[in-house]
Amino acid sequence: MTSTSQGRVINTLIPDLRDVPLDRLAELGGSPLAQSIALYRERLKENGVPLSSFNARI
Amino acid sequence: MITHELSETAFARLAAGEADQTVVGELRQAQYSKHTMLLVAIAAAARQAATGQTGDAAPELAAFHAAYRLLTRIQETSPGDYAWLLALPHLAGWAHDTLIRLDQASAPDFAYLASLGAAAAIRARMPFELAVPVRDGSVLLPGLGRLDVAPGPGQERKSELRQSWVRLRGDVEQVTAGGGVSVPQAALRPDDGTGPLTVGWHGTPAAHAVADGMTWNVLLATDDAYLDRYTLPMSAGLPASELRRWRDWVQSAWAVLTRHHRWAAGPIADGVTVIVPLTPRAATDLISATSPAAFGAIATSWPPDPVTLAETLVHEFQHVTLCGLLDLVPLTNTSGARVYAPWRQDPRPAAGLLQGVYAHLGIIRFWRTQRHAETDPDARLRAEAQYARWCPAIDLAVDTLQRTGCLTPAGVRFTGLLRARSRELAAGPVPRQAGEIAREAALDHWLTWQIRHMAVDGAAAARLAAAYRRGESYPAAMQPGIWVSQDVRKLSSSVRSRLLALRYLDPARYRELVADEVLPISAPDRLLFGPDATAAVQAYRDQIAGTVDPQPDAWVGLTLALHRLPPSSLRATLADRLPVAFEVHSQLGVPADPLDLAGWFG
Repeated sequence: MTSTSQGRVINTLIPDLRDVPLDRLAELGGSPLAQSIALYRERLKENGVPLSSFNARI
Repeated sequence: MITHELSETAFARLAAGEADQTVVGELRQAQYSKHTMLLVAIAAAARQAATGQTGDAAPELAAFHAAYRLLTRIQETSPGDYAWLLALPHLAGWAHDTLIRLDQASAPDFAYLASLGAAAAIRARMPFELAVPVRDGSVLLPGLGRLDVAPGPGQERKSELRQSWVRLRGDVEQVTAGGGVSVPQAALRPDDGTGPLTVGWHGTPAAHAVADGMTWNVLLATDDAYLDRYTLPMSAGLPASELRRWRDWVQSAWAVLTRHHRWAAGPIADGVTVIVPLTPRAATDLISATSPAAFGAIATSWPPDPVTLAETLVHEFQHVTLCGLLDLVPLTNTSGARVYAPWRQDPRPAAGLLQGVYAHLGIIRFWRTQRHAETDPDARLRAEAQYARWCPAIDLAVDTLQRTGCLTPAGVRFTGLLRARSRELAAGPVPRQAGEIAREAALDHWLTWQIRHMAVDGAAAARLAAAYRRGESYPAAMQPGIWVSQDVRKLSSSVRSRLLALRYLDPARYRELVADEVLPISAPDRLLFGPDATAAVQAYRDQIAGTVDPQPDAWVGLTLALHRLPPSSLRATLADRLPVAFEVHSQLGVPADPLDLAGWFG
């Protein structure tokens, strides 16, 4: 899931899409991006969207 | 494909609750990629849906694809405005909900992307033309506001515009809806209460807070369905007077943060872009919430004062940052078994407990400083007691978390760092009165939670009851099984618990209520709030011993009253084993003195 590189950097679950044009992303359908999306959707299905809600009056 | 990297330094800072603007920037960059990823997934679904689609969904899909093409242009020519859009919690909430709808095979709202695309194009001052949905007579432009749409031919009434479409055209000067309403492009901005009114335009309410050389711009979202996603409803349609109050208090809370909690102010200004005002069920409640589906948004009901709003901002921002980290690095393997959280009335999954622990790390840091900033005695008492109440709660909750076994290796490391930092923050001395009030409120919470949610093996409790009736010694080997089971017993002592919390949350109101002869509390409870703890113990004891009917509220009150007396084995027994003592007593079938039974437990 996560690994460290020389103990200084953690590789994460989110693909770095900052420099990829939006119209090119569609071409990456069968790529690791699709796997990342599938993984994310799986996590969403398992966990839902948990809500933190707090009543400060208790 | 490379993934986002998180430096060990950033991870350690996050764990210690010390995310500075650089770390928040890293989280925001990752959210940009996350939202891009979700958009790509939705686009793939839209392409699939468009195959052979000619029915009612056709306009929505056409609008989606047109908006996607528009966003491609905006990304290329105006990356700052594209990044603004990708950071909008509105977009994040819509993307999450759309994916969930797709996975559940329910109809996704593809058309919303047209509203988003139009908002980004207007902000970028880019010429565009796009079919956008009209709802209740206006076009929603997320992050900016709503544009009224004039009724077209044959649409005399606004109700006929409840759900339709209009072509929205924009150039560098004007934005025009259909053949009618035309508004200067520059006017289509959020409304911070200082600009001129523009006919047909309702800017999203916003607050522009400035203090000590620091600025915070935040939207007050009241009309976007994708931000109406909390346990309480969004306060829609706030009148101008209430918006002014919100802006004033955001300003005042901002001044509290910049003056006394600068460590929090900068990251909050960068990381919180939306406040969602909530409508509470009871005026005395203060509910705040955060959703990982809407990074950058926090929700809160109307707070009683600016210091409380400042604390809420710190608290909820902790959730925002943890949600950002959890998208990158899982800290729990599963949601985990339900356990005790010292700040919740219900049993929480371990993953939820982690959120609470992290929020309270920010809370103790806030009150640690705030107690020295307060000059009013009641405000000082509140700050000291808040600090005293939550410091030990973090240690307890981290222990609970680590026992659940649901933490990943990163989660174990994270909670270890968090605990070390919380212990540093907890090192400050606390005045005696504040410490006692905090301890009693915490004890009441723990006892009440146990009675409500800790089930006891009934057969084993019956065997213990029989042994007690026969006058036998306590069979130490016979320990009834206990487990968490939500709402296994009912209590009606919420007024007592609220009073105990009011002693520090609002000391003036507490004094007023305790002096009120008609307050709906029992006679023993009234004694508990008086000076004679021995009399309170006796009153609870009489109440329990006087009937065979279970008296769960009185058992909690008895244990609280005992804790006002010098330490004894009885009070330790009840604090540690209250549900078992209560259950055995309930199975006796005859009236019995609760302290005699507690003494039998040893």
